[in-house]
Amino acid sequence: MVVMTGAKAIVEALKAEGVKHIFGLPGGAIIPVYDVLYDEQEIKHILVRHEQGAAHAADGYARVLGKPGVCMTTSGPGASNLTTGILNAYMDSSPVIAISGQVSTSLLGRDAFQEADMLSVMLPITKHNFIVRKPEEIPKVVKLAFEIATSDRPGPVHIDLPRDVQVGEADVQIPANVTYRKIPKLEPDVEEVRRAVKLLVQAERPLIFAGGGAIWSGASAEVVELAEMLGAPVVTSLLGKGIIPEDHPLSLGMLGMHGRMAANIAVTECDLLLGVGVRFDDRATGDVRYFAPKAKIIHIDIDPVEIGKNVRVDVPIVGDAKRALRAIIDGLRMQAVRQRPSKWLERIEKMRKELAPRMDYDEVPIKPQRVIKEIMGVLNDDAIVVTEVGQCQMWAAHYYIVRKPRRFISSGGLGTMGFGFPASIGAKVACPSCDVIDIAGDGSFLMNSQELATAVENDINVVVCILNNRYLGMVKQWQDLFYRGRRSAVYLGETPDFVKLAEAYGAWGDRVTRPSEIAPKLREALKCGKPAVLDIIIDPEEHVLPMVPAGGRLDQMLT
Amino acid sequence: MKTRIFSILCENVPGVMMRVSRCFTRRQINIDSITVGIEPSGLARIILLFQADDHMAELLRRLISRLTPVIDVQVIDPGTSIVREVVLLKTRRLNNDEMWKVMHHVEKAGGRILESKGNALIAELSGSHEDIEKVIEEIGADVFREVARSGQVIISRELE
Ligand SMILES: Cc1cc2nc3c(=O)[nH]c(=O)nc-3n(C[C@H](O)[C@H](O)[C@H](O)COP(=O)(O)OP(=O)(O)OC[C@H]3O[C@@H](n4cnc5c(N)ncnc54)[C@H](O)[C@@H]3O)c2cc1C
Ligand SMILES: Cc1ncc(C[n+]2csc(CCOP(=O)(O)OP(=O)(O)O)c2C)c(N)n1
Ligand SMILES: [Mg+2]
Repeated sequence: MVVMTGAKAIVEALKAEGVKHIFGLPGGAIIPVYDVLYDEQEIKHILVRHEQGAAHAADGYARVLGKPGVCMTTSGPGASNLTTGILNAYMDSSPVIAISGQVSTSLLGRDAFQEADMLSVMLPITKHNFIVRKPEEIPKVVKLAFEIATSDRPGPVHIDLPRDVQVGEADVQIPANVTYRKIPKLEPDVEEVRRAVKLLVQAERPLIFAGGGAIWSGASAEVVELAEMLGAPVVTSLLGKGIIPEDHPLSLGMLGMHGRMAANIAVTECDLLLGVGVRFDDRATGDVRYFAPKAKIIHIDIDPVEIGKNVRVDVPIVGDAKRALRAIIDGLRMQAVRQRPSKWLERIEKMRKELAPRMDYDEVPIKPQRVIKEIMGVLNDDAIVVTEVGQCQMWAAHYYIVRKPRRFISSGGLGTMGFGFPASIGAKVACPSCDVIDIAGDGSFLMNSQELATAVENDINVVVCILNNRYLGMVKQWQDLFYRGRRSAVYLGETPDFVKLAEAYGAWGDRVTRPSEIAPKLREALKCGKPAVLDIIIDPEEHVLPMVPAGGRLDQMLT
Repeated sequence: MKTRIFSILCENVPGVMMRVSRCFTRRQINIDSITVGIEPSGLARIILLFQADDHMAELLRRLISRLTPVIDVQVIDPGTSIVREVVLLKTRRLNNDEMWKVMHHVEKAGGRILESKGNALIAELSGSHEDIEKVIEEIGADVFREVARSGQVIISRELE
């Protein structure tokens, strides 16, 4: 036990959890903690320009490393600016630890200056949240926060830290000794695994559908091994991209609203679907009545709430994806797995070839498909592709071939414009040796472009590739397709000049108007030694196709 | 739709009721009755009654079990448990006939008169929700100025 202030205790507790970076922006109610950070060597604080950026950066950081990202703000507006970022992390099950200052406990509930009831505000958008009432509680709360954020289904945790708790002194012990009451169920039930194995052996046309949970679980090797063992093709959700190298002969890419045709057809034709760490979101399934209509469904998920929530499940397996897959693989080894009738594999092979999307357009203005092709040609397998939201995101998701897990980062459940750029800053901090690019829309980038200052000041050299169509393109697409082309409030005009915007921040900027310039300029941007913005002028009339209209059937795509 | 009863054992920390009740609000389910008591262990027990179909009831059970401060959710079968509610009834000024009528029905139902002053009185009753409803109906709801109800408390009939 050592006597120290609450502010010191929180920093020590974070260090005990192995925290190396904090994204944040201070204010009156958190100055005591920042005062401790002033002398701190082990933790690097990265000053953002808007707290939403801090939350997204911590989220991007977490998705790349698979362990919590930390963000910190003052009370009131600082804390409330975090909310979109925290909700985004919650929707995609990302472990973010958010710490914000709060007015002193004696002032709570009196509408004090910059008081916000963050306990109530954060409650529905976090996995759990705390308000600390005494300095001596700090080590325990921090320990629990990390435990909760990372155990079973990951998720964000918020800690509200009143000012008097930061300033007050207490005898504390770090790391704290706490037992978390909720012991996660990681191991699958033997009986459930046995039933799954039986179905897999019997299936004629098995299919694996892997998602974000498989990535969090680190189950990439198991997914590939099982697919090869069974001769089962693999489709993924947006958040499952990279669980299998997408140029593997058994990979069919993303399914869903903007998924690959081959993936959606395979789902419709399969007679057994093994869902691994997916929550059967409506963007992925379309009309659930026609989702995998011929198939029995096995669902592996660590969160019992997800089982049977959206689709009927024949065999539920509650547990960690990696362990459940390992158990299934072991179970299958004991059986004489008969060779899969080659008809299914031939069909898959044929679809992969015939339905492979076209990307080799030479037109000016540039087609977005071509942009993705060129980016793919420049980047290596370790590069991290982060996306904004909208058409840009769906072009990246549909066309970009990801070969490793944690190398494609996108806002799935909330679809937050403005996520991509700060998240790419977090990704670069998590992996400084990786090339990191943000595939951005012009609209999305403007929502957090102030973080250019953060990137420049901290030498965080990410490259933003703006697919500039001067539109809120995805909304325009819906208006074109479903609202008789009435383009209400989607034209963004000719402002700003993104090259000048980049230069104003001291970043590198350049414009690209012809397909042949994309690769050389991207190489230059990656090498320029600064954060960079490539303003790529694309065809504003291009739609993301094929597309399953909202609530439509996966096998009925608009082309 | 059936009546469902959850008996939830949880840590006795501020905000826990809010965490539990918003699971219902979010899914547009009305809570018919909610009571909280502190167990000898210091943990809190929340007892909840609501109407839902099987699918929704199971989803809610899992959602509540997932909450950090929640330790256990027991699904109680109303058929094999004892359900009680306490009511305190305050009457308006009554004439003699009314007075006798109230006293008669309250005593018949095993209740008692706690206070009386002038021509008004306060009575206490306990029983199942339906029994209490019946007594109030027999006396006539217009007699009462105030009715305070505890909400339903439940315990399973099982004994060791
Ligand atoms: C414009 C737009 C278009 C979109 N179009 C599509 C589309 O066409 N196709 C598509 O797929 N998505 C699309 N999305 C994304 C979609 O909204 C969902 O975010 C996505 O489908 C969810 O993927 P998931 O189920 O893999 O993910 P998550 O939300 O990551 O869920 C993970 C699941 O895994 C479980 N889990 C977590 N950890 C483990 C573990 N260790 N072991 C086992 N299970 C675990 C969790 O409990 C959860 O059920 C789109 C989004 C936007 C913004
Ligand atoms: C914060 C936020 N506001 C609004 C939306 C609704 N929305 C979805 S996509 C989109 C357009 C995105 O425009 P842009 O970033 O330019 O990408 P594009 O679709 O043009 O590629 C909008 C407005 C959203 N997803 N997020
Ligand atoms: Mg745009």
